[in-house]
Amino acid sequence: MNMELMEYGAAAKLVNSYKINSIESKYVKNAQEALLFSKGKKIVLKVLSGKALHKSKMGLVKVGLENQKEMEAAFSDLSKKGKKFAPYKIIAQKMAPGGVEIIVGGRNDAQFGKMILLGLGGIYVETFRDFALRACPITRFDAKSMIAQLKSKKVVTYNGKMEAQLEELLLKTSKLLVATKLEELDLNPVIIREDGYDVVDIRVLR
Amino acid sequence: MLKPKSVAIIGASNNPDKVGHVILNNYVEGGYQGKIYPVNKDSDLIMGMKAYKSVRDIREPIDLAVIAVPAPVVPMVLEECGKAKVKSVVVVSGGFAETGNVELQSQIVKIADKYQMSMMGPNCLGVMDPRARSDTMFLPTYKLSKPKIGGVSFVSQSGAVGSTVLDLIGKEGFGLSKFLSYGNAAQVDEVDILEYLMHDEETKVIIVYLEGAKRGREFLEMGKRVSKIKPVVIIKGGVTEAGAAAAHSHTASLAGSHEAYDAVFRQCGFSIAHDLDDLLYFGKAFATEPMPKGNRVAIITNGGGTGVLTTDAVYNSGLKMAEYSKETAKSLKKSMPMTVNVRNPLDVVGDADVKRYEDALMAISGDPNIDMIIVIALFQTPGADEKLAQKLIEYKRKMDKPMIVISAGSQYTEERKILMENEGLPVYDSPTAAANSLAELLKYSNYRKGIV
Repeated sequence: MNMELMEYGAAAKLVNSYKINSIESKYVKNAQEALLFSKGKKIVLKVLSGKALHKSKMGLVKVGLENQKEMEAAFSDLSKKGKKFAPYKIIAQKMAPGGVEIIVGGRNDAQFGKMILLGLGGIYVETFRDFALRACPITRFDAKSMIAQLKSKKVVTYNGKMEAQLEELLLKTSKLLVATKLEELDLNPVIIREDGYDVVDIRVLR
Repeated sequence: MLKPKSVAIIGASNNPDKVGHVILNNYVEGGYQGKIYPVNKDSDLIMGMKAYKSVRDIREPIDLAVIAVPAPVVPMVLEECGKAKVKSVVVVSGGFAETGNVELQSQIVKIADKYQMSMMGPNCLGVMDPRARSDTMFLPTYKLSKPKIGGVSFVSQSGAVGSTVLDLIGKEGFGLSKFLSYGNAAQVDEVDILEYLMHDEETKVIIVYLEGAKRGREFLEMGKRVSKIKPVVIIKGGVTEAGAAAAHSHTASLAGSHEAYDAVFRQCGFSIAHDLDDLLYFGKAFATEPMPKGNRVAIITNGGGTGVLTTDAVYNSGLKMAEYSKETAKSLKKSMPMTVNVRNPLDVVGDADVKRYEDALMAISGDPNIDMIIVIALFQTPGADEKLAQKLIEYKRKMDKPMIVISAGSQYTEERKILMENEGLPVYDSPTAAANSLAELLKYSNYRKGIV
């Protein structure tokens, strides 16, 4: 299937329009712009390219950048690496407060239509392959049973508050999936905490 | 289709090697009470019965026509069935979409639709209803144990899996309500069959071998409806395709078609079998057992080691071992000999006789802290005999919670096992099978109640 990767800004807009919080981000052309964006707080710089799926494994993500020097070094390194994946862009993101990394995703199944996925996220996705899947639209019961199905349930949500948040996120994502023409969706990682969550990376394939 | 008052067998033959002969013979010898019309363009007399050149020559109402003629002739025969106002057809013949002959298959669907005939197949074993003594299968009856009449309906896309499992069901104590092998699902498909069985009062449990659902979304919706009324145990056959390695997203690389089916089964509240053994084990439990109120299991055993293994199996299946109420513990301390340690699993030890099992069951069966009971009866010991089997049956009859037996062994045990199973007390060979089956009962019960 010939699929097209939705541009990050548009993807973030789509996700936000369903009241799913994606982390504040901005494309930057140089380290100076990154510094301006950071407003004195720690930021992340990433290479975005349709050709790079495993960004952190490929060294295309630099986290915890605090000052001009760090940002300049990171920007120049990423620019060098990014050329291999051209066309590419560099994006600056606010650092999400620490939490548990999960993946929430979706895909259009030939047999059953839109499916929604929840799994242990980030770099663990493909190592542990611990995930739950359902056909959309899902009910609250489905959302609860998806969480219960994870082997890593106690890692992903260690109290009722987190569970309730995750249920909401799943229900919203299901709504997005049903209403949007797309083939694949990755919200990975989503960093989830007791007091909220941040979608840190988004891939939408149409 | 399932309870026909009259059956035409098209392609009936005097030649015992022909499919049409076997099918006709099944109707004649199976005690079918309706009218039988053999149809063969070349013979006037088949197995001593008047044969018809065409279904149109019968000139009587026909509820079901079984078509066992070569594929190229099927459209013509079907056309004749339509003109003769046949209500339903089973097309046994192969040589359609499964061999790439898609064109011929869509041709017969068009004909069936035109005359509003419901059509099973092609390339299928067809249907069997032991109550109606109707059986369209081309399997000689002497090669297949006839299942008893019961409440389990078995749906199989594959004829081979269908006939094997059907033969195995013949060995089981629970009986069969309907068997439906629907082959290529050209017209009648799994969604139609589920809908039919959902309404069928003779069907209490549905077990399904599925290779692929033709109408995915409808399957999901129908599955949810069926589960609200009766349990479905399902196994999905078909090559496990790993998520595409070069997928563009993590989601797609994790969740392939196999996972999608698994997800849909869960959403439907189906009990998922991972092999054919599970299909029968789970089906057996659903066929006889009431819904458990909780996850706490009590074990009574006359073998220490088997008790330990069963305890492990209970935990592995996600269930828990029960803690006796004070009353139960007290009553057991009173009735059990010194050699018996009062705890769960309750090892009534190797010299246990009927009386000791009875005392144990009496104490345990009313305990509100116990939701399910596993009785291990190893018949190799001196005290375990026919009387024990009878006593267990007696307790089973008045029990309002799930109660199953584990007995493993050869001939002597097998005979006791059959005795118990025929009286509605399910017997399992292994602790794992027993515990997993109870766990499936609980999962379904929770699904019905909306408990995650």
